Amino acid sequence: MSRVLLEVTDLRVKAGGFLLRDINFEMMGDEYLVILGPTGSGKTVLLESLAGLRDIAGGRVCLRGRDITREPPENRNLGFAYQDGLLYNFLTVRENVLFGARARGMAGDPGVIRRMEELVGSMGISHLLDRSPKNLSGGERQRVSLARAILTRPEILLLDEPLSALDPQTRYAMQLLLKEIHSSEGLGIIHVTHDFSETLQLGTRVIIMNNGRMEQAGRPKEVFFYPSTEFSAKFIGMENIIKGLIRKDSQGQRWFAVENGDLNFGPLAEESFRTGQLLRGSDPAILLVRAGNIRLERGGPPAAAVNCWDAVIRNVFYDRTHVDVYCGGKGLWRTNVSFLEWENLGLGEGDRVRLSVRPQDMHVIPGAGYHDVSETGP
Amino acid sequence: MKDLQCLPSTALKQNRVLSPAPANPLRNMKLNWLHVLFGLVFIVLTGFMAALIGGLFVYGKGDFLAVLRNPEFRFALVFTLWTSVTATLLAALLAIPSGYILSRRRFPGKALIETLMDIPIVLPPLVSGVALLILMGPVLGEIFTKFSLDVVFTARGVVVAQCFIATPFAIRAFKQGFDSIDPRLEKVARTLGFSQGMVFLKVTLPLAKGCILSGLTMAWARALGEFGATAILAGITRMKTETLSVAIFLNMSIGDIQFAMSVSMIMLLLALFLMSLFKFFTSSEVSL
Repeated sequence: MSRVLLEVTDLRVKAGGFLLRDINFEMMGDEYLVILGPTGSGKTVLLESLAGLRDIAGGRVCLRGRDITREPPENRNLGFAYQDGLLYNFLTVRENVLFGARARGMAGDPGVIRRMEELVGSMGISHLLDRSPKNLSGGERQRVSLARAILTRPEILLLDEPLSALDPQTRYAMQLLLKEIHSSEGLGIIHVTHDFSETLQLGTRVIIMNNGRMEQAGRPKEVFFYPSTEFSAKFIGMENIIKGLIRKDSQGQRWFAVENGDLNFGPLAEESFRTGQLLRGSDPAILLVRAGNIRLERGGPPAAAVNCWDAVIRNVFYDRTHVDVYCGGKGLWRTNVSFLEWENLGLGEGDRVRLSVRPQDMHVIPGAGYHDVSETGP
Repeated sequence: MKDLQCLPSTALKQNRVLSPAPANPLRNMKLNWLHVLFGLVFIVLTGFMAALIGGLFVYGKGDFLAVLRNPEFRFALVFTLWTSVTATLLAALLAIPSGYILSRRRFPGKALIETLMDIPIVLPPLVSGVALLILMGPVLGEIFTKFSLDVVFTARGVVVAQCFIATPFAIRAFKQGFDSIDPRLEKVARTLGFSQGMVFLKVTLPLAKGCILSGLTMAWARALGEFGATAILAGITRMKTETLSVAIFLNMSIGDIQFAMSVSMIMLLLALFLMSLFKFFTSSEVSL
């Protein structure tokens, strides 16, 4: 198991009227950590605070056990690259790549020159070295910016939305490059983005930010299937978010009852409560179901209203890989099926269908007004 | 065409409505008149400026070479160049930190201080001269005398007056230059290993270079032509505090029109050169 590379404890940063608070996490040496959140959630403030570019109001940042909370940025040995591949237009590409080495008085060192040549060769930008950055494309600028950031072998590479200003093809190529850098350079990467697909493709761990706070942290797939809050669920694109209550039957088994409806889901197994909160009878709750986990069939005799219900197809949208089907019946439900399956079903808008979901595909989290008794004690 | 003829009259009307509206001749006439009027004003103004410059050349060319050999002219030219260059450099030293602070920091009373620094731009130069005379005379005069650095009625006074008038122009230009820099470029340099001071020297100044050079040109132009404040603070003394502007005034007052005209021509050429320099720097400004 690799050692802790970065440890952040109770970090608190004021940025104008914005407050970043209660930031606690550890990062291992080989991790690719993605900080995910909407605009204004504090992702960039967090990244700049780690780099030492913002005054820290409270808390502690340790790099390999060394407290760097008050260290100036130039003493932290952390690489940084912004989204638009910010380069110095008054320097050539070569001078840009060597800019960090120049700061350390090593720009003419043969070892540094050799490393620079290896880096630009592996990044495919050798032919640009004598050009001005003014004439480079977005992807080329980003590559030069990355080469500049990692030339001096930082311990962590901090990336602020590095792919957001790129076209899809260049973005794919950059993703491969980032993976390559992560494995070949053996450095930790912290990557800020608002795009969850980047998280799934690159991250080994993700922190979701909301309004200056950490909303959820975990492995990307874990967060994708089991978000712990309504915000996380909405942000990662959970298709079915249903409000209701937890009910207990005479055998003590827990069920999810849909708000304002006669539809029940359950009995809920422990695996439906993966995010750890203890939900009891009559607790407000939210049921989360991925569209792909709702089974769509032709309509038949009336359903028993337990994990299975009747609905009518409202809208059908064709995507590149599947068909999205919106059904109305005790709420609005989104499901998706493959093209082949959709053709075999022979359905269309206005047709009656039966929807069903397996108990193991249900994920339940606390709803608004839920009070966690485990936190306050008996 | 045949199909169109078969259409009922209502459809033809609709078709007419859908087709592009014919140009409104009245609207075009108005636009043309406006162009004609603006063009006339533009031609008259250009002609006026050309006549102004041409007149100066026609009347000043007479004994131009003789004036160039005149010791008084040579003194005024050299004196103006060294005082204005010194004043411009001093203005730059004052304006770079001031422009940077005004661009990057927020503090209470910032708008008031900015207005205060702009005062020499709107204040009549004579009033500036009087204010400087009081400050450098009754208020601080004794201190300057103690260190043998008298300002009033000396060449130093000329530099101080020129610097006072030129500094606000430099501050404005430098502030604009610092405003135009993406602060993230400076942040990246910090993470690459540069200290705050080195970032200023290696990143901020090169990025603001265009605005700094154009600001310096404007400041130099203002210092070069300064007369009012200089006359009050440093006095109008032949071959002592005689700048080119002062030389024109002195020689016009004694009726030596030829000398005054020739010096005016030199100043005009200097102004044209400086304006060209300014335009060059502003057009080749470093873009991010």
